[in-house]
Amino acid sequence: MLPRLSRSCLIALVLALCIGSAGCNVIRIQLNTPLTQDDVAFIEPGKTVLTEVIAKLGVPDSITESYLGVVATYRFLDMKYSRVNFGWLVKPWSPVDPDLIISRTGFGVDAFELHCDPNWVVTHQSFLRQLSGPQFNPYPF
Amino acid sequence: MPLARVTCIALLSLIVVQGCAFSRGTLGDEIRADAIASIKKGTSTKAEVLALLGAPDRLLQVNGRDVFQYYRYDAKAGSLLLIVINFSRMSVKSDDLFVILNREGVVEDVISSKRTDGMEFRFWPFGD
Repeated sequence: MLPRLSRSCLIALVLALCIGSAGCNVIRIQLNTPLTQDDVAFIEPGKTVLTEVIAKLGVPDSITESYLGVVATYRFLDMKYSRVNFGWLVKPWSPVDPDLIISRTGFGVDAFELHCDPNWVVTHQSFLRQLSGPQFNPYPF
Repeated sequence: MPLARVTCIALLSLIVVQGCAFSRGTLGDEIRADAIASIKKGTSTKAEVLALLGAPDRLLQVNGRDVFQYYRYDAKAGSLLLIVINFSRMSVKSDDLFVILNREGVVEDVISSKRTDGMEFRFWPFGD
């Protein structure tokens, strides 16, 4: 059994955590599996062919033609949204349902593009944006 | 563990966990694996592909060849609704099939991947 003081501290800590996270929403949406530099490190421009890329990364989301060959694109999204409603703190004492909300959304939209020559050999590769990935942070200012 | 403690934990869990939600959405029809398997490189024709899979979702011209693209999207969302905090996570993945046809209308290559296999309902938004 915990001593009375420790138990009081524990209850206070739990209450503080509950109040601190009052009315929180943490939401994440992922489209496809986000690719990283490590995932595509095996691609050697001028040597690797598209079928080798497909064998490791799967089929691209789109294949389009360009003047010098073909562009294969892998698209992905990692969206993070967090929201805190401080109105919850006064709910028990308020006759109305108050809201004081702060929230922030980060859209980690990116794509990995491969340029292939007419023989399907990869000539260039690059990420559309060099995203570090959004964080869960409800502070909007 | 004493019965009283188990009962306490169960009651607390019932009080704290307000609810759960599971949602699912799909776009397009399932691309049948047997249909993909029956497309033979070098022999199957455009008409046979159309009879097996129907009209493509997208028709592309690449390297002087026609490319039929078929796709299907699957979304699974899970939510854990607690009293003061809610966790939700949605995963969207696609199955894609590209059928590459030569100038004679014969299948030159078939590339497909099924990303939706093993996709689970998840509510915990942190981590990978």
